[in-house]
Amino acid sequence: MNNGDVLVIGAGIAGIEASLLLAGAGRRVYLVEKTSYIGGNVIKYEHVFSNMECATCMVAPKQQELLGNEDIKLLTLSEVFDVEGSSGNFVVKVRKRARYVDPVNCIGCNTCFDPCPVSLKNEFEEGLGERKAIYIPCAGALPNVPAIDPENCVRFQGKDCQACKEACMFDAINFDEKDEELELKVGAILVATGFSSFNPNKISQYGYGKFGNVYTAFEFERMFASNGPTGGKLLLRNGQSPKSVAILHCVGRKEKGYCSAVCCMYSLKFIHYLKDKLPEVKIYELYSDLCIPGKSYQKFYEEMKEKGADIVRANEFSVVEEGKGIVIKSTLNGKERSLPVDMVILAPAMEPRGDASKLAKILDVPLDEHGFFREEPYNPVATPREGVFIAGCAQDPKDIQGSVAQSEAAVGRILATP
Amino acid sequence: MEEYWQPLETERNDVEEKIGVYICECGPNIAENVNIDEVTEVVSSLPSVEVVERHKLLCSEDGKKFLKNSIQEHGLTRLVIAACSPKQHESTFMKVCEEAGLNPHLFQLVNIREQCAWIIEDKEKATERATRYVRAALRRIPYHRPLEKREIDCNPDVLVIGGGITGIETSLLLAGPDRKVFLVEKTSSLGGKLREFEKLSPNMESTERLLEQKIKDIEKNDNIKVYTDSEVKEVLGFLGNFIAVVKSREDDEEIEIKVGSVAVATGFDLYDPMKDSRYGYGKFDDVYTAMEFEKMNLDGKILLKNGQSPKSVAIIHCVGREERGYCSGVCCAYSLKLARYLKAKLPNVKVSNLYSELSVPGKVYQKFYEDTKCMGVDFIRAGGIEVEEKTIKYTTDDGKGKNLPVDMVILAAAIQPTGDASKLAEMLKISLDKKGFFTEEHEKLGPVSTSMEGIFIAGCAQGPKNVVDSIVQAGAVAGKILSSVIPGKKLEPEVRTSEISEAFCVGCQTCLEVCAYGAIYFDEMKRVSVVNEILCRGCGNCAASCPSGAASLKHFTTTQIHQEVVEALR
Repeated sequence: MNNGDVLVIGAGIAGIEASLLLAGAGRRVYLVEKTSYIGGNVIKYEHVFSNMECATCMVAPKQQELLGNEDIKLLTLSEVFDVEGSSGNFVVKVRKRARYVDPVNCIGCNTCFDPCPVSLKNEFEEGLGERKAIYIPCAGALPNVPAIDPENCVRFQGKDCQACKEACMFDAINFDEKDEELELKVGAILVATGFSSFNPNKISQYGYGKFGNVYTAFEFERMFASNGPTGGKLLLRNGQSPKSVAILHCVGRKEKGYCSAVCCMYSLKFIHYLKDKLPEVKIYELYSDLCIPGKSYQKFYEEMKEKGADIVRANEFSVVEEGKGIVIKSTLNGKERSLPVDMVILAPAMEPRGDASKLAKILDVPLDEHGFFREEPYNPVATPREGVFIAGCAQDPKDIQGSVAQSEAAVGRILATP
Repeated sequence: MEEYWQPLETERNDVEEKIGVYICECGPNIAENVNIDEVTEVVSSLPSVEVVERHKLLCSEDGKKFLKNSIQEHGLTRLVIAACSPKQHESTFMKVCEEAGLNPHLFQLVNIREQCAWIIEDKEKATERATRYVRAALRRIPYHRPLEKREIDCNPDVLVIGGGITGIETSLLLAGPDRKVFLVEKTSSLGGKLREFEKLSPNMESTERLLEQKIKDIEKNDNIKVYTDSEVKEVLGFLGNFIAVVKSREDDEEIEIKVGSVAVATGFDLYDPMKDSRYGYGKFDDVYTAMEFEKMNLDGKILLKNGQSPKSVAIIHCVGREERGYCSGVCCAYSLKLARYLKAKLPNVKVSNLYSELSVPGKVYQKFYEDTKCMGVDFIRAGGIEVEEKTIKYTTDDGKGKNLPVDMVILAAAIQPTGDASKLAEMLKISLDKKGFFTEEHEKLGPVSTSMEGIFIAGCAQGPKNVVDSIVQAGAVAGKILSSVIPGKKLEPEVRTSEISEAFCVGCQTCLEVCAYGAIYFDEMKRVSVVNEILCRGCGNCAASCPSGAASLKHFTTTQIHQEVVEALR
């Protein structure tokens, strides 16, 4: 008898959508998420192209529905470490790390943060902001229950600290919670683990990590975010507002060997971000080929251009220091150009996550030459292993619309299989 | 002080109202910023208030149990809870009401956290505001009506319009012993545009082999009924209950099909370059569209008009892009494929691709481009293209004017909606965007749904895309239908719907114009508008636009809102 339950790995937008559809069909879903929160990368953005909707508002109803759905067992801070069996009868082993905070008692009042003596760089904020050892990644993150990071919490390093527990009025903190190993029996597995960003410090000519005012797209997103480390203020490292900003496309494209499909669009979105906060700012977009396919994206390009930006083709960028400022050197048709700017935003390639190969081995499915999960020809949600499906950016760089469509298609395949 | 409220005679009933008010402390969140005792004192003295209690955390298991017991103990007829945002816990407390035997719509959740305790620093001001909000809710709640859940049957069968790769994929995924698929195709055979391509990029594999297998699968599937040479003439009904009329072109026979959902997979047409004289199409010999060239290639006859093989060919990208106003996304990739056809069939041919922006997104296409380049294909970034007799005039990126002598010109034309898209849109009551493509429900989160529940769109009918993405969207439609229109399952449509008073309706049909969901129809006999409660999503547009006040939204009637606002401002 085939098991109808489904394991979805990754609680980003693709995983969330798939889980909701599967539960709607009466299937039980185990949604395994590595971090302490759901929403993946989408909740890091303030707005999404091309309708410029508020990203968190857009996904909030789906997130709430997910959290309230009794057929979806959400396992955060969890990772799959073993898969046996075959389609219809998989046995999956999951390691569930302790949160140390009881989600039933906790009401998300956040009173436990202040007293915590440990402060460190917040990964969610791309290091631009700080968090405590007991934390939620950002305001509004769901589930609204903090987690304790045992690697940085002083109590777990041997010190006698109970500051958070003492501050909690609901007796929600439990230092004695243990990591668990769970065994799940499912009939199908969907991989929706998303993507990582190419790290531009690999290419010294972009000046990332060298010059303070060179930012990656994700860092800029968090800077602009109203729930971000600056409360939405666009600032240089010296605390002042930039007067001129250059956005460099295709960072890492040559190294990776493919076009990441979304960078031109979000780079254009950044024009809106910049003009919204700094109406007088001078904006330059330097690109190699403009990639804006689809029925609505060219209109978006024209609207953004009209806001006032120099969108120009350029090759071989290098970001150098001249005097106290940054200058971007580029060539076009043999001619060299120098562009002095206050701030540089890099649009880096989308790449597979660092743990993709480990997961691929556990699932016994292949990766392609770029490290993305390999799909079957003309069956883009299927892998060579029956019963194991893929969706979203784990398979191929794409935008949110493409990821959602692919996750719905994966559900279609799963539900169509008897 | 004026009378507290004077309920309309028509709204009162003979049951003695017993309203329970529960104030949540929400830990320190509300308790520390609002003086709950003060709120309790004011509210206790109001008419019909049976009990006012406070609780540390109403949404907790303990809180919910407490609420349920209290509702039953006091025999409450209506419930007001002052706590957090409805978005957070309205559904939580509605479930508690149901479990306690109280209709969940006889309940109002007052937000004294996000809208009060969390935003007003001064405790006195916050307390005054919280009291005001609770008073307003208490004035509103006697006008709440109990609303009952509705259940409708649904037909699991599906109508798929369009027998190209998208329609084929959708049908194969959906068909099963308890779900029939009716696949309607305008032409005499299945396969759509793919029938005209020899190969598909980037794998350069045979399209015929792919299609052959898929069509065989359709033919041997007893649960798929195919109607070729047929068109859909009419679609009536709503989610779970559609009736479609399919007319065969051969014998003019009309067939009625009953289905629960509809998938539109009608594909695309190619932009006609006749519209742009710069490309010389129809003017000079040997200027072909990409589809015409595909046919030439499929027939094994890549020949000029004079019967000879071309020695030099130019493929011009972005034809029609300016006029259509969008990038079709697939032309760069298929232009690379066409270049490869040429190199494979005519080894010494000179091939030049003239483009403005090279668009090769995704993990496979850049390599496809680079490998094509390695085959000796020339890639020229060109602007200001003018096709003349056996020559192409163009301007390079750095402004130089150039001439390219060629034997043959292939125009990579834009993908546009089919000519009958607007007719179909009207028939199905779904909308087209400014470019003529069917509009999806939500750009990001609803790519294959439409504003009409039960009607889906996929493939190039929704927007220009390649074969793989069309296959994905076909799968997405299957995913949406398989997870919602399930054999034997009853559908629960929205309960807080609009209703139109026959007495007050003047027949102006303003409501029909503003309804985005096709949920209102005009009764020609009675000359009044009527709401289809199954399709209504409770958006309230009709109630807001109705000049005679005939349309009102359940749970948000003028009286209910008015009473709440009057008290909130008093």
